[in-house]
Amino acid sequence: MSMTKVLVIGSISDTGLIGLAQKVDNPEIHYLVLGTGDTSQLGKYGITKAYSLTAQIDESSFAETLTGIINSNNYSVVITPASKFFKTAIPILAQKLSAPVIVDVLDLKQSGNAFEITYNGVGNRAQVTVKVVDRAFLIAPPTRFKPSEKVVTVTTESLQPKVVTGVKVVSTEEKPKGKVRIEDAELIVSVGRGFKKQEDLKLAFELAEVLGAEVGCSRPIAADLKWLSEDHWVGLSGHKVRPKLYMAIGISGQPQHLAGMMEAKTVIVINSDPNAPFFKNCDYGVVEDLYKFVPTLTKKLREVLKK
Amino acid sequence: MEILALVKLALDTGQLRMSESKVDIDATPLKISDIDRSAVEEAVRIKERVGGRVRVVTVLKYGPLPKRQQEAESILREALAMGADEAYLIVDNALVNSDQLLTAKAIAATVKKLGNYDLIIAGEATIDGYTSQVGSRVAAELGIPVISFVRELKVEGNKVTAKRDLEDSIQTVEAQLPALVTVTREINVPRIPPLLQIRAAMKKSINKLSLADLGISMKSLVEVVSIAPIQVKRKNVIIKDGTVDEKVDKLIQALVQEGLITPR
Ligand SMILES: Cc1cc2nc3c(=O)[nH]c(=O)nc-3n(C[C@H](O)[C@H](O)[C@H](O)COP(=O)(O)OP(=O)(O)OC[C@H]3O[C@@H](n4cnc5c(N)ncnc54)[C@H](O)[C@@H]3O)c2cc1C
Ligand SMILES: Nc1ncnc2c1ncn2[C@@H]1O[C@H](COP(=O)(O)O)[C@@H](O)[C@H]1O
Repeated sequence: MSMTKVLVIGSISDTGLIGLAQKVDNPEIHYLVLGTGDTSQLGKYGITKAYSLTAQIDESSFAETLTGIINSNNYSVVITPASKFFKTAIPILAQKLSAPVIVDVLDLKQSGNAFEITYNGVGNRAQVTVKVVDRAFLIAPPTRFKPSEKVVTVTTESLQPKVVTGVKVVSTEEKPKGKVRIEDAELIVSVGRGFKKQEDLKLAFELAEVLGAEVGCSRPIAADLKWLSEDHWVGLSGHKVRPKLYMAIGISGQPQHLAGMMEAKTVIVINSDPNAPFFKNCDYGVVEDLYKFVPTLTKKLREVLKK
Repeated sequence: MEILALVKLALDTGQLRMSESKVDIDATPLKISDIDRSAVEEAVRIKERVGGRVRVVTVLKYGPLPKRQQEAESILREALAMGADEAYLIVDNALVNSDQLLTAKAIAATVKKLGNYDLIIAGEATIDGYTSQVGSRVAAELGIPVISFVRELKVEGNKVTAKRDLEDSIQTVEAQLPALVTVTREINVPRIPPLLQIRAAMKKSINKLSLADLGISMKSLVEVVSIAPIQVKRKNVIIKDGTVDEKVDKLIQALVQEGLITPR
């Protein structure tokens, strides 16, 4: 049986993606490490060849650098994580190589030169399965997959970037970093635009503390108002969560928010508008002003839980 | 300044028609993909500042065609009412459920057919595809720079300066025109056009083009096999009567029942 050549691209910690690569028939998997990292450790997952690209590089230059490599090595499947860097660079590359890009991939099956790929589509409201022949670029979160082990020796090649001029970086300003791993939280109290001022979020933090929960939020709270750092952001463009409890306070329940918390076990919604769409997607919905409800809930929970 | 705004008529994911096992794409209404309204808004604001023209380009991705074409034309009036000058609607059976490679080829061919341009504005991602692909692909097809995830944009003479909203940083970049930028939802608040403008938009032109008009004979490389809805059954217990205290008590009872808290 012939080999299918797969290229995984990511940092040294994105090895979960090798698990997706291993789903093709008889794979020969190569790995391109962006940034620094010990490539020899990739050998335990059956990676025979590693590329190392340590130079800081922009998306267009990255696409330019990879075009020749993908063509001359005949990689049928190219897999990357879902960062904004790859979401910019991979489509450039795919357009040049006349190949499709499938985003948020869940599964991959091969039959001959055809690949059947399943992914979260239609705004994360459906699992879509498509068929692609010859070559596909796949984007997926590395933590979704677990590579199996098979120890081999790795040969490493350093890549020199091919620089494309066009976009010049003038300055870079770091964002405040948070430490919350909302995607791992068991209990989440999540806040939305129903909160009128940043200080008012303390109502949610006090409730979360009594419950032992993390605080999540809708996109406007993180991206627009910047009241919380982006590690709290839940939704289609934020983090996907799967807690035992998701308590949404002052969040309307737009489809792009729901897309991030579909897998919550119990959903509680607190909203003053009885017509808020979130009420159609909850287990328990309380129609009430959060400013009256949340402090009372916190107080009574303290009594019940003796905290 | 010649500005093009790329607008997708996306499935309204808040109004998906679905059964247990199937999403009924044909019966789901379309709307301007939310962030593409921000793309049109940004284009119109630039035109209002420096003069010029805004043209909207749309590739229709959903069938059944005769019905969808009418729907598309009436939705595109909204973009025209916001201040765009003309719209180009690419309609072809081969584009229905097609992939982004072909979509981008159709858009790029339209852009070339229209002649000179300075700036192309797309959204960061659509509400239904949510792939962030088409902007980068169009730029690659046209051989121009792409600046993605832009939340602040300045155009001066022949130069754009943009603030890109990345995961860990805000990056400020510059490029010469022509260039393509993709904008985030946070870049502006799209205007809601008054009735007068909606009426005036009836006079603006929506030009239809087919793939043959664009000289494209390619087929989509991606074939859709199935679309299975992700549905979660929820209990839908709504607590709306009584005093705040009573509502709190009912919710605490529910939390206990679900085993989420244990009273001490
Ligand atoms: C491509 C794309 C991706 C997106 N990604 C995301 C994402 O990842 N996450 C996300 O959250 N959004 C996302 N959005 C935005 C999304 O569509 C909504 O705009 C957003 O979720 C709304 O946030 P919100 O519910 O906090 O605010 P609003 O929609 O303004 O809702 C506020 C709610 O608070 C209620 N309220 C007001 N006052 C009170 C009170 N005193 N007590 C109780 N309730 C009160 C109101 O009734 C209302 O329902 C995305 C949009 C697009 C187009
Ligand atoms: N069918 C289309 N017609 C016109 N523009 C599109 C189309 N699809 C995508 N775009 C543009 O590309 C952006 C990204 O789309 P996507 O790759 O689907 O996330 C959108 O916000 C639009 O500006």
